[in-house]
Amino acid sequence: MKILVPIKRVPDPALKTKVKDGAIDLTGANWVVNPFDEYAVETALRLLENGEAGARVAGAEIVVVTIGPEDAAQQLRSALATGADRAIRVDAEDKALDAGVVVAALVQIIAAEKPDLVILGKQAVDGDANQVGQMLAGKLGWAQATFAASVELAADQKSVLVGREVDAGVEYKRIGTPGILTVDLRIVSPHSVKNNVTPATFAYPDGPRYASLKGIMAAKKKPMDVKKLSDYGVTTTPVTREVGIELPAARAAGQIVADIPTLVKKLADEAKAI
Amino acid sequence: MFALDEQTKMVQTMVRQWCETQLAPRIPAFEHGSELPFELMKKMAKTFGLDAMVGAQVRKRIDKLKAAEAGGTTDETSAASLSGSLGGDTMMTHVVVKELSRVSPGFAMGWGVSMGLAGGAILAKGTADQVERWGLPLTTCKQIGSWCLTEPGAGSDAFGSMRTTATVDGDGYVLRGSKTFITNGPGADIFVVYAKIDRGEPPAEQSVATFIVLRDDPGFTVGPPFKKMGMRDSPTSEIFFDDVKLGVERLLGGREKGKAGRSDTKDSLANERSGVPAMAWGIIERCYDASVAYVRDRRQFGRRIGDFQAVQLKIADLYLKLRNVENTVFRLAWMQQSKTQDPAYVNASKAWCSQAAVDAALTAIQIHGGYGYMEELGIEKLARDAKMLELGAGTTDINLLSAARALIGPDGGA
Ligand SMILES: Cc1cc2nc3c(=O)[nH]c(=O)nc-3n(C[C@H](O)[C@H](O)[C@H](O)COP(=O)(O)OP(=O)(O)OC[C@H]3O[C@@H](n4cnc5c(N)ncnc54)[C@H](O)[C@@H]3O)c2cc1C
Repeated sequence: MKILVPIKRVPDPALKTKVKDGAIDLTGANWVVNPFDEYAVETALRLLENGEAGARVAGAEIVVVTIGPEDAAQQLRSALATGADRAIRVDAEDKALDAGVVVAALVQIIAAEKPDLVILGKQAVDGDANQVGQMLAGKLGWAQATFAASVELAADQKSVLVGREVDAGVEYKRIGTPGILTVDLRIVSPHSVKNNVTPATFAYPDGPRYASLKGIMAAKKKPMDVKKLSDYGVTTTPVTREVGIELPAARAAGQIVADIPTLVKKLADEAKAI
Repeated sequence: MFALDEQTKMVQTMVRQWCETQLAPRIPAFEHGSELPFELMKKMAKTFGLDAMVGAQVRKRIDKLKAAEAGGTTDETSAASLSGSLGGDTMMTHVVVKELSRVSPGFAMGWGVSMGLAGGAILAKGTADQVERWGLPLTTCKQIGSWCLTEPGAGSDAFGSMRTTATVDGDGYVLRGSKTFITNGPGADIFVVYAKIDRGEPPAEQSVATFIVLRDDPGFTVGPPFKKMGMRDSPTSEIFFDDVKLGVERLLGGREKGKAGRSDTKDSLANERSGVPAMAWGIIERCYDASVAYVRDRRQFGRRIGDFQAVQLKIADLYLKLRNVENTVFRLAWMQQSKTQDPAYVNASKAWCSQAAVDAALTAIQIHGGYGYMEELGIEKLARDAKMLELGAGTTDINLLSAARALIGPDGGA
């Protein structure tokens, strides 16, 4: 089985966003793998290994891909260090990209790679657009299961059963392969990923794994193809345009009210919340 | 040459994340002694796959030793070339120690003593059998080790004043005496112990040998953890040998080496000293990072305190110490990699980096004002911990004297 995981680098979400001259100031930014994409890589790893034995099942392959500038190779390498087998970087400046361009490129990569599953983060935490997975499924005409909180790969590897947290509870959806999965935070809980190889009782640590030192050393030797958008015949250009960047207005300070009637009055008159 | 390569940077980022999420929350419990750090040490080794990586190297060493023993020769690879490195990359090891020391110099020390000093000593000098039985579990962090030289009456003069003896008894030995200030004592499984071989000659003529003592050996006991100024997250204790009977399989290397026995210890001492600058680096880097962030943020008299020149000078001083200590570690890593022996540098830089760490931590407290004095910020802890670096692995004075002696050289006579 082959799984393709597209990953994106984002400025470290733990750091404060700086705005300078009407644009986000990225000088000296600390780039990290989009957290949901890290979960996607972790999901792929858990689907294709015997977690208890710590070994990959035979014939399985995980390919990570990013569309981005040269520096983005670092994020690919960190995915290789945790266990992905091979990486592809499609060279492009961030400015030349939007969801449409990324999807156009991924469609071509998928045509070349023929993966059984494409696993993506549900969204990238920079733009929070939440589009690529869905658009990709649309363009390919593949089945999709978004916001996966759990996934079980059938023993015959022909389908996955995906749990999605919805308002009323958990919705289960079975999709056949090839298919598109986008993952939510809970996919990296200890029992969220089952593959009918790892014993069902096996508990993973909560969260994506750390790369082992050996993995980090090995990552340097794993193949990383560098391509251009034109190699895939992608001529699409961005249709989204940045109109302006503004930080949200600072929140007004809180108030301490004397009693409940005052609170109710303020909620009604000032906050217009009731 | 003074930059970390991409892999080492990845290790740095990863270990930092681990320290922030897994180690930092446990520090209060370790500091107050309500929890011991050893389980977390083992977990760390597993998380980063240290066990698998070092294990593979150690198994190769065992095979080589077995082959040499079968051929009737011994393998005299020097200790420095074997211990103190992960996957043969010395800078990576220093960076791991640095990252651990940002949060807990004590945790770094305990881990270094167990894997590097105790494990390293067995790996470098043990027989194939000893490496397999005790070196492997220590270097892969499956078991915890202590390295035991200091005695109540023998500190700086560790060999001259050593009172612990191994009396020859048939094919084996009987160990008598005690050791003190033993890092990991309260939890260790395996103790690497230095003692004088006693055949009735005067103590000054007795040779020093290294023994492997196990926690359950009859006659061996461990005292309660000491209450210390710092390094409280690294439990320390006294240990006692009351007629501990040891077979010859517990004599490191399997045979007595006479006067050469002391040089075994000296290899370990050099390793110990080379490990200290990375700890100082971690302490200073954290102090520097925290201080720069604080002076940008903290306002008094209507301005950032970083706008006051008196504060700026302190930042410049921290920066200078940070870069100097970092450079030292790069040099030590290069020395280890290129097998360059320079005892004067190892000793002098250990002394300088330790003092710099104490100064930097006190400066950082001053910059943080009253907040720096509070436990919550974790800076006062670094100051208490840093002081230990000036005492262990030789006191600052002893380090400097050793450096000077190496520089001046022995008196060849007129
Ligand atoms: C937290 C902690 C953990 C430790 N862990 C270990 C361990 O795991 N294993 C181990 O074997 N030891 C360990 N030690 C012991 C440490 O190595 C000794 O404390 C150190 O060697 C100094 O010995 P001492 O304390 O007996 O001081 P002393 O040797 O008594 O020194 C006292 C003072 O006299 C000075 N002095 C002594 N001789 C001279 C001289 N010739 N010239 C000038 N000044 C001199 C010293 O510099 C010092 O200022 C640890 C110590 C501490 C505090």
